[in-house]
Amino acid sequence: MKISRKWLQQLVDLSGVKDDDIASRLTMLGVEVESYENFATKYDGFIVGVVLEVEKHPNADKLKVCKVDVGGEVKSIVCGAPNVAAGQKVPVGLVGAMVPHNQHDPDGKPFQLTRAKIRGVESEGMICSANELGLGDDKSGIMVFDGAANQGTPLSDYLGLNDTVFEISLTPNRADCLSHLGVARELAAAFSKKPIQKRVKITEDGPSINESVKVDVAAQDLCPRYSARLVRKVKVGPSPKWLKDGVESVGIRSINNVVDATNFVMLELGQPLHAFDLKRITGHKIIVRRPAKDETKFTTLDAKERNITPDMVMICDREKIVAIGGVMGGMNSEISEDTTEVLIESANFNQSSIRRTSKALGLSTEASYRFERGVDPNLTIRALDRVSEIIAQTSGGKLAPGIIDIAATKFLPKRVELHVDHVNRLLGTRLATGEIIRVLESIEIPCDKKSETVIMCSVPTFRGDIERDVDLIEEVGRVYGYEQIADSFQTKLNFDTRFHGNTSLDELRDLLAGAGFNEIMTNSLQPADVAGFHDTAFVALANPISEDMAAMRTTLLPGALQTVGVNLAHGLKDMKLFEIGRVYVVSEKEQVIGRFVESPKVSIVLSGAADPTSFDRKESKFDIFDLKTEIERLLTFLKLDSWDFISYDTTKEYEQSLKLFVNGMELGIGGRVGKAALQKLSVDQDVYFAELDLTSLLALRKSTKRFKTLPKFPFASIDLSFIVEGQTPAAEMMNALRNAAGEMFRDISVFDIYSGEGIPDGKKSIAFSMALGSEERTLNDGDIAGFIEKAEKTMKVKFSAELRRQKN
Amino acid sequence: MEMLEEIQKLKDEATSALGTLKSTDDAENFRLRYLSRKGALAQLFEKLKEVPKENKPALGKSLNELRTFLENEFETSRNNLGSKSPTSDGSLDLSIPGRKRYTGRKHPLTQTADEIKRIFTNIGFGIADGPEIEDDYHNFEALNFPPDHPARDMQDTFFVKSEEGKYVLRTHTSGVQIRVMENNKPPVRVMMPGRVYRNEAISARSYCLFHQVEGLYVDKNVSLAELKGTIAYFAKEFFNEEAKLRFRPSYFPFTEPSAEVDVNCFICGGKGCKICKYSGWLEIMGCGMVDPNVFKAVKYDENEVSGYAFGMGIERLALLRYGIDDIRLFFENDLRFLNQF
Ligand SMILES: [Zn+2]
Repeated sequence: MKISRKWLQQLVDLSGVKDDDIASRLTMLGVEVESYENFATKYDGFIVGVVLEVEKHPNADKLKVCKVDVGGEVKSIVCGAPNVAAGQKVPVGLVGAMVPHNQHDPDGKPFQLTRAKIRGVESEGMICSANELGLGDDKSGIMVFDGAANQGTPLSDYLGLNDTVFEISLTPNRADCLSHLGVARELAAAFSKKPIQKRVKITEDGPSINESVKVDVAAQDLCPRYSARLVRKVKVGPSPKWLKDGVESVGIRSINNVVDATNFVMLELGQPLHAFDLKRITGHKIIVRRPAKDETKFTTLDAKERNITPDMVMICDREKIVAIGGVMGGMNSEISEDTTEVLIESANFNQSSIRRTSKALGLSTEASYRFERGVDPNLTIRALDRVSEIIAQTSGGKLAPGIIDIAATKFLPKRVELHVDHVNRLLGTRLATGEIIRVLESIEIPCDKKSETVIMCSVPTFRGDIERDVDLIEEVGRVYGYEQIADSFQTKLNFDTRFHGNTSLDELRDLLAGAGFNEIMTNSLQPADVAGFHDTAFVALANPISEDMAAMRTTLLPGALQTVGVNLAHGLKDMKLFEIGRVYVVSEKEQVIGRFVESPKVSIVLSGAADPTSFDRKESKFDIFDLKTEIERLLTFLKLDSWDFISYDTTKEYEQSLKLFVNGMELGIGGRVGKAALQKLSVDQDVYFAELDLTSLLALRKSTKRFKTLPKFPFASIDLSFIVEGQTPAAEMMNALRNAAGEMFRDISVFDIYSGEGIPDGKKSIAFSMALGSEERTLNDGDIAGFIEKAEKTMKVKFSAELRRQKN
Repeated sequence: MEMLEEIQKLKDEATSALGTLKSTDDAENFRLRYLSRKGALAQLFEKLKEVPKENKPALGKSLNELRTFLENEFETSRNNLGSKSPTSDGSLDLSIPGRKRYTGRKHPLTQTADEIKRIFTNIGFGIADGPEIEDDYHNFEALNFPPDHPARDMQDTFFVKSEEGKYVLRTHTSGVQIRVMENNKPPVRVMMPGRVYRNEAISARSYCLFHQVEGLYVDKNVSLAELKGTIAYFAKEFFNEEAKLRFRPSYFPFTEPSAEVDVNCFICGGKGCKICKYSGWLEIMGCGMVDPNVFKAVKYDENEVSGYAFGMGIERLALLRYGIDDIRLFFENDLRFLNQF
């Protein structure tokens, strides 16, 4: 919202107060000033000049050399504009002036005018275009003023731009500041000034309003107050300069003297007003009501047909709707050039009702914005008087005697009791009763001292946001100044040990980062078809930003692939990534929140080189066993002692795939990602991906760590090699060997697989390295031989395996 | 300070030459080149005579240090010449860098969140977690956002398709405050980190989701002064000892009084720059005293306890701290980006 300093000065004495102080004090009062622009100083060094002569530039065809009278002095100025001509009155920037907008700079950065030779001819200034002055988009030629301009007049004076405009960003609670009056009130408190009370001058004439107009408020729940005045013999026309400049200075388009007057008063006092052409109000009767069943369409002022619903509040005449209350008027009763009798509505509407209406219509107006935040119900009459004064003054209208005022109740100040010790306890201050009263009265909240420590406050109706003692405490805090409240940091260190967070997730992140993984974070919103491809029970959004983000992710896979794609596009081929994040599905059963389940997952992403090429070793690419290595690293870290992988050739996501089972529970899936998915993201190298369920994994984690006595006797290692059918799974053989070793088993791994020369067709040789041990003694040759004999027999029976050689 | 650069240059050059000494001839050449009476070091000592008086002590000290260093290292290298095994000599080039391996690291947002959690767990805060798909009650109503209130416009909300009720993607982690208080008696002192969503167009300055950390402390006699002191402690730990704060009155439905906290712009030192929009201040968080209506919703006795709450965006803090200019970088996971932190 824009606020004009000139306007504020009509309402509060700001003499001697700097713009910067206004901005910073408002900000520190919670009325945030985002920026401000001082137009008077912006055009320092610019004046109105008269072009006396125009000659061709001796050295450049497109340039001209002009003699310009800048008020008692003639300057020689080189100008490139095609439209420059003798006799024109033009804006001239003199040497030293800052040109607000550089037409030749892509960012339009301001620049300072210097005395310069342009193609050999000295130029003592610059004639400017509207664009260069920041006054419009036109950069085709210089600005030319009409005859009323005098040479030598400072440009800001000529343009009436001797004002500072503040851009204010208001929080939704401060509806009282949606006007110059409200901001002036804050400034009066900030600078200890009294607001200026202006007497409104009106003269009433002719028959009373009650003889011409009737008002009936049927929907008083939606419209607690409806006030109106009537002005006759109005001549609608353009607004005078002060009124036009006034509304335009804060960014409102000037329309005509009547509409501008209503806008002006809204901007000044905060009361939205609406002007009807009484001639077009059938039966001269206003009825405020809900729409009838068959009233479903209405065309608003902006020529748009709107769908209306039964709970909206309508301003109607005897036959039809003439406005959507508090939002926008209709075409059918709009002020036009031949309007002579103007009925001015100054009403108060229910906040939530206006908000719902505005949402339903998708239409937010200056009026609806104010009503949904809350307008002072006691402002209607004051605003009517002020607007009548302006309309009478600018349109020659005659104000009908009397006011129509239909109110549901008397709107009295709220009485709120404030305890001094509560103020000090909550703020951490030691304010005295008198100090608190002084602060509250500075923002027009009258106080009564009930006792030494209890204050009775009468909250004026313009502060609808203040209802309780804490609300008053906030007022005391902000006006007294948060910066005046001394920091306190004597927190008793009673550690809250009930909340530990998920430290396991932190540990996993550390583990994986330490193992060379880069952590990634990907968008949890996905296209619905992607989410649905992986799990049909996906969560869909009712109002997505775009189709690309219409659902919650059901797996971390798409984000991972996208990341691989992004990096490949940048020429980075080797990746080791992980993500810890949630996936979301709808379940059959009722959950804590609806039927939604959010499961934390960890993903592992491997692509490119497992070991990049070095000076003496060839690069090795990641494969499925690297994926298993990383999964097993996690499982080992979590102290799980057994797990199973079940492998599949192809699933819908993978070409080689694995499912992880612990205690018979499926905990994750992974594999080499299928080509189809890769092609979609132009990924032209293998990607190995696994996703594990953290809820179950962490639940299985062995949390209690108990020390086991270290083995007293050294292990014996033996290597065993078997010839078996090529299809025999190594994992099963390892299990058999483990069982054969029984108590002695310590460790096993595969160290060689071979088929080809020396091995019968369709068979393979597979070699295991085993560690055996005992708690009682060092194993002797007999123990080892006994085991080998047992192993040989078992393997023969189970796999028809033939022992090749032994070594220990 | 040309001279200082020359000293450093000589040090670098001589150190790398030392690494290549293989024979007594090499050693003699080295001695002649650097350490002899006409050597490079001696020449620098000669130059020292010409530098301005006030610079002499510092430069002289550096030069003497360099002489000691080179003489010692030269001695060691010369003595070791004989001990180098003949096979390694020449056949193994020890100047080849080690083999490249993956260096992993945590995401910058994780690093930032960890830092914030550390700062607050140090002063007694626990850590709690909550759902991202929330009901309207916990995301809005219990937090004193009445239905049809303009405060709801402060956060553009994603709604979830559902037949059973009104569910949203949480717009802040404040719902966890409610859940924590519903299930735990005061005093409560807890941090709530997590992912939140806003239905805003994606740009360099905003993304459809971000991460937040909120803090909540409810006890007897918790005051605004205490909140200010706690945030001042945080700012000194997170930014630096000189961090200056500004508490501006603001509005959040679930706190009263409410404030927005700015830290003095450490990029321009408060003079005004593009990052701080020429104000000299950077907004870092919102905070305030827990509104009595929130206490009513969780059945805490508003006359018994008071509390403060604060919330900050992890992305915002990371952007400021690292000088990142585009929030989307966090979610693109470009390794050239991730490896910078
Ligand atoms: Zn700055």
